[in-house]
Amino acid sequence: MTTLLRLWSFYARRTTRWPGVAAAIPFIALIASWAIVAESAIFPRAFFPGPLDVVRSFGSLVYKGILPDYLEDSVVRLAVGAAAGTALGIPLGLWLGMSPRAYSALWPVLLFFQAIGDIAWLPILLIWFGFGLATMTFVIVYTVLFPVVLNTVLGVRSVPIDLHRAALSLGASRARILWEVVVPGALPNIVTGLRNGLGYGWRALIAAEIIVGTSGIGFLMFDARRAGSVVEILLGMIILGLLWSVVDGWVLVPIERATGQRWGLITQ
Amino acid sequence: MKGLLIRNLSKTYFDPYAGAHVTAVRDVSLSVNEGEFVSLVGPSGCGKTTILNMIAGFVPASSGDIVLDGRRISGPGPDRGVVFQSFALFPWKTVLENVAFGPKMRGAGKTERERIAREYLALAGLGNAADRYPNELSGGMQQRVGVARALANEPDILLMDEPFASVDAQTRMTLQEELTRIWQARRPTVIFITHDVNEAIFLAERVIVLSKGRLLAEVDVPLPRPRVWDTLIEDAAFKTLSARVLHLVRSG
Repeated sequence: MTTLLRLWSFYARRTTRWPGVAAAIPFIALIASWAIVAESAIFPRAFFPGPLDVVRSFGSLVYKGILPDYLEDSVVRLAVGAAAGTALGIPLGLWLGMSPRAYSALWPVLLFFQAIGDIAWLPILLIWFGFGLATMTFVIVYTVLFPVVLNTVLGVRSVPIDLHRAALSLGASRARILWEVVVPGALPNIVTGLRNGLGYGWRALIAAEIIVGTSGIGFLMFDARRAGSVVEILLGMIILGLLWSVVDGWVLVPIERATGQRWGLITQ
Repeated sequence: MKGLLIRNLSKTYFDPYAGAHVTAVRDVSLSVNEGEFVSLVGPSGCGKTTILNMIAGFVPASSGDIVLDGRRISGPGPDRGVVFQSFALFPWKTVLENVAFGPKMRGAGKTERERIAREYLALAGLGNAADRYPNELSGGMQQRVGVARALANEPDILLMDEPFASVDAQTRMTLQEELTRIWQARRPTVIFITHDVNEAIFLAERVIVLSKGRLLAEVDVPLPRPRVWDTLIEDAAFKTLSARVLHLVRSG
Protein backbone atom coordinates (compact mmCIF):
# COMPACT_ATOMS: atom_id res chain seq x y z
CA MET A 1 0.00 0.00 0.00
CA THR A 2 2.75 2.46 0.98
CA THR A 3 4.67 1.52 -2.16
CA LEU A 4 1.60 2.27 -4.24
CA LEU A 5 1.16 5.58 -2.45
CA ARG A 6 4.78 6.46 -2.98
CA LEU A 7 4.51 5.56 -6.67
CA TRP A 8 1.41 7.68 -7.01
CA SER A 9 2.99 10.68 -5.32
CA PHE A 10 6.04 10.30 -7.56
CA TYR A 11 3.76 10.17 -10.59
CA ALA A 12 1.81 13.19 -9.41
CA ARG A 13 4.92 15.26 -8.76
CA ARG A 14 6.57 14.39 -12.08
CA THR A 15 3.47 15.01 -14.11
CA THR A 16 2.87 18.44 -12.57
CA ARG A 17 6.40 19.39 -13.50
CA TRP A 18 6.36 17.82 -16.97
CA PRO A 19 2.82 17.70 -18.38
CA GLY A 20 4.24 15.86 -21.39
CA VAL A 21 4.92 12.87 -19.17
CA ALA A 22 1.32 12.83 -18.03
CA ALA A 23 0.18 12.75 -21.65
CA ALA A 24 2.58 9.92 -22.55
CA ILE A 25 1.81 7.52 -19.70
CA PRO A 26 -1.66 6.36 -20.84
CA PHE A 27 -0.18 5.71 -24.28
CA ILE A 28 2.59 3.59 -22.82
CA ALA A 29 -0.08 1.48 -21.08
CA LEU A 30 -2.08 1.29 -24.31
CA ILE A 31 0.90 0.21 -26.42
CA ALA A 32 1.94 -2.33 -23.77
CA SER A 33 -1.49 -4.00 -23.75
CA TRP A 34 -1.54 -3.95 -27.55
CA ALA A 35 1.85 -5.67 -27.61
CA ILE A 36 0.73 -8.27 -25.08
CA VAL A 37 -2.39 -9.15 -27.10
CA ALA A 38 -0.37 -9.34 -30.34
CA GLU A 39 2.44 -11.43 -28.85
CA SER A 40 0.01 -13.86 -27.19
CA ALA A 41 -0.92 -14.91 -30.74
CA ILE A 42 -4.67 -15.08 -30.07
CA PHE A 43 -5.13 -13.69 -33.57
CA PRO A 44 -3.02 -14.46 -36.65
CA ARG A 45 -0.11 -12.07 -37.01
CA ALA A 46 -1.13 -10.72 -40.41
CA PHE A 47 -4.60 -9.99 -39.02
CA PHE A 48 -3.47 -8.36 -35.76
CA PRO A 49 0.15 -7.14 -35.94
CA GLY A 50 2.02 -5.75 -32.93
CA PRO A 51 3.58 -2.33 -32.33
CA LEU A 52 7.01 -3.47 -33.55
CA ASP A 53 5.57 -4.58 -36.89
CA VAL A 54 4.07 -1.14 -37.32
CA VAL A 55 7.39 0.53 -36.46
CA ARG A 56 9.11 -1.71 -39.02
CA SER A 57 6.52 -0.86 -41.65
CA PHE A 58 7.02 2.82 -40.81
CA GLY A 59 10.76 2.43 -41.39
CA SER A 60 10.31 0.69 -44.70
CA LEU A 61 7.73 3.17 -46.02
CA VAL A 62 9.95 6.08 -45.00
CA TYR A 63 12.91 4.39 -46.67
CA LYS A 64 10.97 3.92 -49.91
CA GLY A 65 9.97 7.59 -49.72
CA ILE A 66 6.25 6.79 -49.94
CA LEU A 67 5.29 7.95 -46.46
CA PRO A 68 7.03 11.36 -46.56
CA ASP A 69 5.42 12.07 -49.96
CA TYR A 70 1.96 11.03 -48.83
CA LEU A 71 2.28 12.90 -45.55
CA GLU A 72 3.32 16.03 -47.37
CA ASP A 73 0.41 15.69 -49.81
CA SER A 74 -2.11 15.36 -46.98
CA VAL A 75 -0.70 18.17 -44.86
CA VAL A 76 -0.40 20.57 -47.80
CA ARG A 77 -3.99 19.82 -48.88
CA LEU A 78 -5.22 20.48 -45.34
CA ALA A 79 -3.16 23.65 -44.96
CA VAL A 80 -4.26 25.11 -48.29
CA GLY A 81 -7.89 24.14 -47.72
CA ALA A 82 -7.89 25.46 -44.17
CA ALA A 83 -6.25 28.72 -45.22
CA ALA A 84 -8.78 29.26 -47.99
CA GLY A 85 -11.70 28.26 -45.75
CA THR A 86 -10.54 30.64 -43.02
CA ALA A 87 -9.86 33.47 -45.45
CA LEU A 88 -13.44 33.15 -46.74
CA GLY A 89 -15.05 32.29 -43.42
CA ILE A 90 -13.80 35.10 -41.17
CA PRO A 91 -14.90 38.03 -43.37
CA LEU A 92 -18.22 36.30 -44.09
CA GLY A 93 -18.75 35.68 -40.37
CA LEU A 94 -17.88 39.29 -39.47
CA TRP A 95 -20.32 40.56 -42.07
CA LEU A 96 -23.15 38.27 -40.96
CA GLY A 97 -22.44 39.06 -37.30
CA MET A 98 -22.61 42.82 -37.78
CA SER A 99 -25.38 43.19 -40.35
CA PRO A 100 -28.79 41.99 -39.12
CA ARG A 101 -30.08 42.20 -42.69
CA ALA A 102 -27.33 39.96 -44.08
CA TYR A 103 -27.85 37.62 -41.15
CA SER A 104 -31.58 37.15 -41.69
CA ALA A 105 -31.09 36.73 -45.44
CA LEU A 106 -28.16 34.31 -45.42
CA TRP A 107 -28.39 32.38 -42.15
CA PRO A 108 -31.05 29.90 -43.39
CA VAL A 109 -29.02 29.31 -46.56
CA LEU A 110 -25.96 28.65 -44.45
CA LEU A 111 -27.79 26.16 -42.25
CA PHE A 112 -29.15 24.41 -45.33
CA PHE A 113 -25.71 23.92 -46.86
CA GLN A 114 -24.16 23.03 -43.53
CA ALA A 115 -26.54 20.09 -43.38
CA ILE A 116 -25.22 18.76 -46.69
CA GLY A 117 -22.08 17.29 -45.17
CA ASP A 118 -18.73 17.40 -46.91
CA ILE A 119 -18.82 13.81 -48.14
CA ALA A 120 -22.34 14.20 -49.49
CA TRP A 121 -20.82 16.56 -52.02
CA LEU A 122 -18.39 13.97 -53.35
CA PRO A 123 -20.69 12.25 -55.88
CA ILE A 124 -21.46 15.46 -57.74
CA LEU A 125 -17.93 16.83 -57.32
CA LEU A 126 -16.47 13.69 -58.87
CA ILE A 127 -18.68 14.21 -61.92
CA TRP A 128 -17.86 17.93 -62.13
CA PHE A 129 -14.17 17.99 -61.27
CA GLY A 130 -13.13 14.34 -61.53
CA PHE A 131 -10.71 12.49 -59.29
CA GLY A 132 -8.30 15.30 -58.52
CA LEU A 133 -7.07 18.12 -56.40
CA ALA A 134 -10.04 20.38 -57.18
CA THR A 135 -12.47 17.91 -55.65
CA MET A 136 -10.42 17.45 -52.50
CA THR A 137 -9.79 21.17 -52.07
CA PHE A 138 -13.49 21.89 -52.44
CA VAL A 139 -14.34 19.36 -49.75
CA ILE A 140 -11.82 20.74 -47.26
CA VAL A 141 -12.66 24.39 -47.87
CA TYR A 142 -16.34 23.52 -47.55
CA THR A 143 -15.77 21.65 -44.29
CA VAL A 144 -13.57 24.33 -42.72
CA LEU A 145 -15.82 27.19 -43.84
CA PHE A 146 -18.91 26.42 -41.75
CA PRO A 147 -17.42 26.11 -38.26
CA VAL A 148 -15.37 29.25 -38.91
CA VAL A 149 -18.38 31.26 -40.13
CA LEU A 150 -20.75 30.05 -37.42
CA ASN A 151 -18.26 30.67 -34.60
CA THR A 152 -17.24 34.06 -35.97
CA VAL A 153 -20.88 35.15 -36.05
CA LEU A 154 -21.25 33.93 -32.47
CA GLY A 155 -18.09 35.81 -31.47
CA VAL A 156 -19.18 39.07 -33.07
CA ARG A 157 -22.56 38.86 -31.36
CA SER A 158 -20.98 38.10 -28.00
CA VAL A 159 -19.06 41.40 -27.89
CA PRO A 160 -20.86 43.38 -25.14
CA ILE A 161 -22.81 46.38 -26.40
CA ASP A 162 -21.05 48.58 -23.81
CA LEU A 163 -17.74 48.01 -25.62
CA HIS A 164 -19.30 49.30 -28.85
CA ARG A 165 -20.72 52.26 -26.95
CA ALA A 166 -17.42 52.99 -25.21
CA ALA A 167 -15.59 53.00 -28.55
CA LEU A 168 -18.24 55.25 -30.14
CA SER A 169 -18.10 57.74 -27.26
CA LEU A 170 -14.31 57.79 -27.54
CA GLY A 171 -14.65 58.90 -31.15
CA ALA A 172 -14.12 55.62 -33.03
CA SER A 173 -15.50 55.34 -36.56
CA ARG A 174 -17.33 52.22 -37.77
CA ALA A 175 -14.20 50.98 -39.51
CA ARG A 176 -12.06 51.50 -36.40
CA ILE A 177 -14.64 49.68 -34.27
CA LEU A 178 -14.46 46.70 -36.62
CA TRP A 179 -10.72 46.50 -36.19
CA GLU A 180 -10.32 47.62 -32.56
CA VAL A 181 -13.41 46.05 -30.98
CA VAL A 182 -15.24 43.50 -33.14
CA VAL A 183 -12.31 41.45 -34.43
CA PRO A 184 -10.42 41.10 -31.12
CA GLY A 185 -13.69 40.52 -29.26
CA ALA A 186 -14.63 37.72 -31.63
CA LEU A 187 -11.12 36.26 -31.79
CA PRO A 188 -11.50 33.58 -29.10
CA ASN A 189 -14.58 32.26 -30.92
CA ILE A 190 -12.81 32.51 -34.27
CA VAL A 191 -10.01 30.35 -32.86
CA THR A 192 -12.60 27.84 -31.64
CA GLY A 193 -14.08 27.81 -35.14
CA LEU A 194 -10.64 27.26 -36.61
CA ARG A 195 -10.05 24.41 -34.18
CA ASN A 196 -13.33 22.71 -35.11
CA GLY A 197 -12.82 23.46 -38.79
CA LEU A 198 -9.35 21.95 -38.86
CA GLY A 199 -10.63 18.89 -36.99
CA TYR A 200 -13.52 18.33 -39.37
CA GLY A 201 -11.37 19.25 -42.36
CA TRP A 202 -8.75 16.68 -41.40
CA ARG A 203 -11.40 13.96 -41.22
CA ALA A 204 -12.99 15.07 -44.49
CA LEU A 205 -9.59 15.02 -46.16
CA ILE A 206 -8.97 11.43 -45.16
CA ALA A 207 -12.42 10.44 -46.41
CA ALA A 208 -11.84 12.30 -49.66
CA GLU A 209 -8.45 10.68 -50.13
CA ILE A 210 -9.99 7.26 -49.61
CA ILE A 211 -12.56 7.90 -52.31
CA VAL A 212 -10.70 10.21 -54.68
CA GLY A 213 -7.38 8.62 -53.82
CA THR A 214 -4.21 9.15 -55.73
CA SER A 215 -1.95 9.90 -52.76
CA GLY A 216 -2.10 10.92 -49.10
CA ILE A 217 -2.55 9.16 -45.77
CA GLY A 218 -6.18 8.24 -46.51
CA PHE A 219 -5.11 6.71 -49.82
CA LEU A 220 -2.27 4.86 -48.09
CA MET A 221 -4.75 3.23 -45.72
CA PHE A 222 -7.26 2.31 -48.38
CA ASP A 223 -4.56 1.04 -50.72
CA ALA A 224 -3.24 -1.10 -47.83
CA ARG A 225 -6.71 -2.58 -47.45
CA ARG A 226 -6.65 -3.64 -51.11
CA ALA A 227 -3.30 -5.33 -50.48
CA GLY A 228 -4.56 -6.78 -47.20
CA SER A 229 -1.82 -5.06 -45.18
CA VAL A 230 -3.27 -4.52 -41.72
CA VAL A 231 0.06 -3.19 -40.49
CA GLU A 232 -0.07 -0.26 -42.93
CA ILE A 233 -3.66 0.50 -42.03
CA LEU A 234 -2.70 0.68 -38.37
CA LEU A 235 0.29 2.88 -39.26
CA GLY A 236 -2.02 5.26 -41.12
CA MET A 237 -4.38 5.46 -38.14
CA ILE A 238 -1.53 6.19 -35.74
CA ILE A 239 -0.16 8.89 -38.02
CA LEU A 240 -3.60 10.56 -38.10
CA GLY A 241 -3.68 10.72 -34.31
CA LEU A 242 -0.09 11.90 -33.95
CA LEU A 243 -0.41 14.54 -36.63
CA TRP A 244 -3.45 15.99 -34.93
CA SER A 245 -1.56 16.21 -31.62
CA VAL A 246 1.14 18.17 -33.43
CA VAL A 247 -1.37 20.55 -35.04
CA ASP A 248 -3.08 21.01 -31.67
CA GLY A 249 0.08 21.53 -29.62
CA TRP A 250 2.09 23.60 -32.09
CA VAL A 251 -0.59 25.63 -33.83
CA LEU A 252 -3.89 25.81 -31.96
CA VAL A 253 -2.84 25.92 -28.32
CA PRO A 254 -0.27 28.72 -28.84
CA ILE A 255 -2.88 30.81 -30.66
CA GLU A 256 -5.37 30.29 -27.86
CA ARG A 257 -2.78 31.13 -25.26
CA ALA A 258 -1.82 34.34 -27.03
CA THR A 259 -5.40 35.60 -27.32
CA GLY A 260 -8.32 34.72 -25.09
CA GLN A 261 -6.49 33.33 -22.11
CA ARG A 262 -4.29 36.36 -21.63
CA TRP A 263 -7.26 38.69 -21.83
CA GLY A 264 -9.32 36.70 -19.39
CA LEU A 265 -11.99 36.00 -22.03
CA ILE A 266 -11.38 32.28 -21.62
CA THR A 267 -10.98 31.04 -18.08
CA GLN A 268 -9.00 27.91 -17.54
CA MET B 1 -23.81 78.92 -24.64
CA LYS B 2 -21.53 76.56 -22.72
CA GLY B 3 -22.94 73.65 -20.78
CA LEU B 4 -25.74 71.15 -21.28
CA LEU B 5 -29.33 72.09 -21.92
CA ILE B 6 -32.16 69.53 -21.96
CA ARG B 7 -35.60 70.66 -23.09
CA ASN B 8 -38.82 68.62 -22.77
CA LEU B 9 -37.03 65.33 -23.20
CA SER B 10 -39.22 62.20 -23.48
CA LYS B 11 -38.59 58.59 -24.32
CA THR B 12 -41.27 56.10 -25.24
CA TYR B 13 -40.52 52.61 -26.43
CA PHE B 14 -42.48 49.50 -27.29
CA ASP B 15 -42.19 46.72 -24.74
CA PRO B 16 -42.74 43.43 -26.60
CA TYR B 17 -43.37 41.54 -23.35
CA ALA B 18 -45.98 43.95 -22.03
CA GLY B 19 -47.30 44.40 -25.58
CA ALA B 20 -47.65 48.12 -24.98
CA HIS B 21 -45.82 51.41 -25.22
CA VAL B 22 -43.92 52.38 -22.10
CA THR B 23 -42.82 55.89 -21.22
CA ALA B 24 -39.41 55.75 -19.55
CA VAL B 25 -38.75 59.50 -19.53
CA ARG B 26 -41.50 62.10 -19.48
CA ASP B 27 -40.95 65.76 -20.33
CA VAL B 28 -37.68 66.30 -18.48
CA SER B 29 -35.98 69.71 -18.69
CA LEU B 30 -32.77 70.59 -16.94
CA SER B 31 -29.52 72.42 -17.47
CA VAL B 32 -25.99 71.75 -16.30
CA ASN B 33 -23.47 74.56 -16.26
CA GLU B 34 -19.93 74.21 -17.47
CA GLY B 35 -17.76 72.79 -14.70
CA GLU B 36 -20.74 71.74 -12.60
CA PHE B 37 -21.14 68.32 -10.95
CA VAL B 38 -24.76 67.15 -11.01
CA SER B 39 -26.10 63.88 -9.61
CA LEU B 40 -29.27 62.24 -10.92
CA VAL B 41 -30.72 60.03 -8.21
CA GLY B 42 -33.71 57.76 -8.14
CA PRO B 43 -34.77 54.13 -7.79
CA SER B 44 -34.49 51.51 -10.53
CA GLY B 45 -36.84 52.26 -13.39
CA CYS B 46 -37.01 56.00 -12.73
CA GLY B 47 -35.50 56.70 -16.15
CA LYS B 48 -32.11 57.99 -15.04
CA THR B 49 -30.06 55.60 -17.17
CA THR B 50 -32.34 56.22 -20.17
CA ILE B 51 -31.68 59.96 -19.81
CA LEU B 52 -27.95 59.34 -19.67
CA ASN B 53 -28.10 57.06 -22.73
CA MET B 54 -29.93 59.76 -24.66
CA ILE B 55 -27.36 62.39 -23.68
CA ALA B 56 -24.59 59.98 -24.70
CA GLY B 57 -26.42 59.44 -28.00
CA PHE B 58 -26.71 55.69 -27.55
CA VAL B 59 -30.50 55.77 -27.82
CA PRO B 60 -32.52 58.40 -29.72
CA ALA B 61 -34.96 60.63 -27.87
CA SER B 62 -38.65 60.30 -28.74
CA SER B 63 -39.09 64.03 -28.40
CA GLY B 64 -37.29 67.03 -26.96
CA ASP B 65 -33.83 68.53 -27.40
CA ILE B 66 -30.41 67.91 -25.94
CA VAL B 67 -27.98 70.74 -26.62
CA LEU B 68 -24.32 70.66 -25.58
CA ASP B 69 -22.31 73.89 -25.92
CA GLY B 70 -24.88 75.13 -28.42
CA ARG B 71 -24.82 71.99 -30.61
CA ARG B 72 -27.81 69.68 -30.86
CA ILE B 73 -26.90 66.10 -30.06
CA SER B 74 -27.55 63.27 -32.50
CA GLY B 75 -25.63 60.05 -31.91
CA PRO B 76 -22.57 59.33 -29.78
CA GLY B 77 -19.47 61.49 -29.98
CA PRO B 78 -16.14 62.15 -28.31
CA ASP B 79 -17.44 65.43 -26.84
CA ARG B 80 -19.28 63.28 -24.26
CA GLY B 81 -17.13 60.89 -22.24
CA VAL B 82 -18.94 57.93 -20.69
CA VAL B 83 -18.01 55.87 -17.62
CA PHE B 84 -19.95 52.61 -17.52
CA GLN B 85 -21.22 50.52 -14.63
CA SER B 86 -19.76 47.49 -16.44
CA PHE B 87 -16.42 49.39 -16.80
CA ALA B 88 -16.47 48.48 -20.54
CA LEU B 89 -12.68 48.34 -20.77
CA PHE B 90 -11.23 46.62 -23.83
CA PRO B 91 -9.96 43.29 -22.43
CA TRP B 92 -7.42 42.87 -25.25
CA LYS B 93 -5.77 46.22 -24.59
CA THR B 94 -3.44 47.05 -21.74
CA VAL B 95 -4.43 49.73 -19.25
CA LEU B 96 -2.21 52.22 -21.12
CA GLU B 97 -3.75 51.30 -24.50
CA ASN B 98 -7.26 51.62 -23.03
CA VAL B 99 -6.59 55.13 -21.77
CA ALA B 100 -4.79 56.06 -24.99
CA PHE B 101 -7.77 54.88 -27.11
CA GLY B 102 -9.53 58.25 -27.36
CA PRO B 103 -6.38 60.18 -28.35
CA LYS B 104 -5.59 57.37 -30.84
CA MET B 105 -9.00 57.82 -32.47
CA ARG B 106 -8.29 61.55 -32.69
CA GLY B 107 -5.17 60.70 -34.66
CA ALA B 108 -2.56 61.38 -31.96
CA GLY B 109 0.80 59.68 -32.61
CA LYS B 110 2.08 56.89 -30.40
CA THR B 111 4.37 59.04 -28.24
CA GLU B 112 1.78 61.78 -27.89
CA ARG B 113 -1.10 59.49 -26.92
CA GLU B 114 1.03 57.54 -24.47
CA ARG B 115 2.16 60.78 -22.84
CA ILE B 116 -1.51 61.80 -22.46
CA ALA B 117 -2.47 58.35 -21.17
CA ARG B 118 0.31 58.35 -18.56
CA GLU B 119 -0.73 61.78 -17.38
CA TYR B 120 -4.31 60.63 -16.74
CA LEU B 121 -3.20 57.31 -15.26
CA ALA B 122 -1.13 59.26 -12.76
CA LEU B 123 -4.16 61.46 -12.01
CA ALA B 124 -6.20 58.32 -11.27
CA GLY B 125 -3.41 56.85 -9.14
CA LEU B 126 -2.66 54.05 -11.63
CA GLY B 127 0.93 54.85 -12.55
CA ASN B 128 2.11 51.30 -11.89
CA ALA B 129 -0.68 49.46 -13.72
CA ALA B 130 0.03 50.80 -17.23
CA ASP B 131 1.16 47.50 -18.74
CA ARG B 132 -1.37 45.23 -17.05
CA TYR B 133 -4.50 43.86 -18.71
CA PRO B 134 -7.91 44.84 -17.24
CA ASN B 135 -8.72 41.31 -16.05
CA GLU B 136 -5.58 41.41 -13.90
CA LEU B 137 -6.98 44.35 -11.90
CA SER B 138 -9.55 44.60 -9.10
CA GLY B 139 -12.94 46.15 -9.83
CA GLY B 140 -11.94 49.40 -8.15
CA MET B 141 -8.76 49.63 -10.22
CA GLN B 142 -10.67 48.83 -13.41
CA GLN B 143 -13.07 51.68 -12.83
CA ARG B 144 -10.16 54.06 -12.16
CA VAL B 145 -9.03 53.08 -15.66
CA GLY B 146 -12.56 53.74 -16.93
CA VAL B 147 -12.50 57.27 -15.47
CA ALA B 148 -8.97 57.94 -16.74
CA ARG B 149 -9.93 56.71 -20.23
CA ALA B 150 -12.96 59.01 -20.40
CA LEU B 151 -11.01 62.03 -19.07
CA ALA B 152 -8.02 61.45 -21.37
CA ASN B 153 -10.24 62.23 -24.32
CA GLU B 154 -10.91 65.67 -22.81
CA PRO B 155 -14.69 65.60 -23.29
CA ASP B 156 -16.91 68.63 -22.75
CA ILE B 157 -18.99 66.59 -20.33
CA LEU B 158 -18.45 63.38 -18.37
CA LEU B 159 -21.42 61.01 -18.14
CA MET B 160 -21.15 58.46 -15.33
CA ASP B 161 -23.70 55.65 -15.15
CA GLU B 162 -23.66 54.13 -11.65
CA PRO B 163 -19.90 53.70 -12.05
CA PHE B 164 -19.21 52.53 -8.51
CA ALA B 165 -22.24 50.25 -8.08
CA SER B 166 -20.30 47.03 -8.64
CA VAL B 167 -17.36 47.59 -6.28
CA ASP B 168 -17.30 46.84 -2.57
CA ALA B 169 -18.43 49.48 -0.05
CA GLN B 170 -14.96 50.49 1.22
CA THR B 171 -13.48 50.78 -2.27
CA ARG B 172 -16.54 52.75 -3.31
CA MET B 173 -15.87 55.39 -0.63
CA THR B 174 -12.26 55.70 -1.74
CA LEU B 175 -13.31 56.05 -5.38
CA GLN B 176 -15.86 58.70 -4.45
CA GLU B 177 -13.21 60.70 -2.58
CA GLU B 178 -10.81 60.35 -5.51
CA LEU B 179 -13.48 61.50 -7.93
CA THR B 180 -14.13 64.67 -5.88
CA ARG B 181 -10.37 65.30 -5.83
CA ILE B 182 -10.12 64.87 -9.62
CA TRP B 183 -13.16 67.07 -10.15
CA GLN B 184 -11.64 69.84 -8.02
CA ALA B 185 -8.36 69.58 -9.88
CA ARG B 186 -9.79 69.54 -13.42
CA ARG B 187 -13.33 70.88 -13.04
CA PRO B 188 -14.95 68.75 -15.74
CA THR B 189 -18.71 69.01 -16.24
CA VAL B 190 -20.18 65.83 -14.78
CA ILE B 191 -23.54 64.09 -14.77
CA PHE B 192 -23.48 61.26 -12.29
CA ILE B 193 -26.23 58.61 -12.18
CA THR B 194 -26.81 56.72 -8.94
CA HIS B 195 -29.50 55.19 -6.77
CA ASP B 196 -27.39 55.88 -3.66
CA VAL B 197 -28.58 59.09 -2.00
CA ASN B 198 -25.42 59.62 0.09
CA GLU B 199 -23.21 59.09 -2.94
CA ALA B 200 -25.25 61.60 -4.94
CA ILE B 201 -24.90 64.25 -2.22
CA PHE B 202 -21.26 63.54 -1.40
CA LEU B 203 -20.12 64.10 -4.99
CA ALA B 204 -22.37 66.79 -6.38
CA GLU B 205 -23.02 70.51 -6.38
CA ARG B 206 -26.64 69.79 -7.17
CA VAL B 207 -28.78 66.68 -6.81
CA ILE B 208 -31.71 66.02 -9.15
CA VAL B 209 -34.32 63.56 -7.92
CA LEU B 210 -36.17 61.53 -10.54
CA SER B 211 -39.27 59.47 -10.14
CA LYS B 212 -41.25 57.47 -12.70
CA GLY B 213 -39.55 59.21 -15.60
CA ARG B 214 -40.19 62.70 -14.25
CA LEU B 215 -38.01 65.31 -12.63
CA LEU B 216 -39.24 65.46 -9.03
CA ALA B 217 -36.96 67.95 -7.31
CA GLU B 218 -33.62 69.75 -7.42
CA VAL B 219 -31.55 70.08 -4.25
CA ASP B 220 -28.42 72.27 -3.99
CA VAL B 221 -25.49 70.85 -2.04
CA PRO B 222 -23.58 73.72 -0.43
CA LEU B 223 -21.14 71.44 1.46
CA PRO B 224 -17.53 72.66 1.53
CA ARG B 225 -14.71 70.86 -0.29
CA PRO B 226 -12.53 68.87 -0.09
CA ARG B 227 -15.09 66.32 1.03
CA VAL B 228 -14.00 63.23 2.93
CA TRP B 229 -16.29 60.58 4.38
CA ASP B 230 -14.71 60.49 7.85
CA THR B 231 -15.81 64.06 8.62
CA LEU B 232 -18.85 64.31 6.37
CA ILE B 233 -20.55 61.28 7.88
CA GLU B 234 -20.78 63.21 11.17
CA ASP B 235 -21.68 66.52 9.55
CA ALA B 236 -25.10 67.91 10.53
CA ALA B 237 -25.66 69.67 7.20
CA PHE B 238 -24.86 66.45 5.33
CA LYS B 239 -27.25 64.46 7.50
CA THR B 240 -30.05 66.95 6.97
CA LEU B 241 -29.53 66.94 3.21
CA SER B 242 -29.33 63.16 3.15
CA ALA B 243 -32.60 62.80 5.08
CA ARG B 244 -34.32 65.32 2.81
CA VAL B 245 -33.24 63.68 -0.44
CA LEU B 246 -33.97 60.22 0.89
CA HIS B 247 -37.46 61.35 1.77
CA LEU B 248 -37.96 62.75 -1.73
CA VAL B 249 -36.70 59.54 -3.35
CA ARG B 250 -38.91 57.32 -1.21
CA SER B 251 -42.04 59.47 -1.46
CA GLY B 252 -41.70 59.80 -5.26
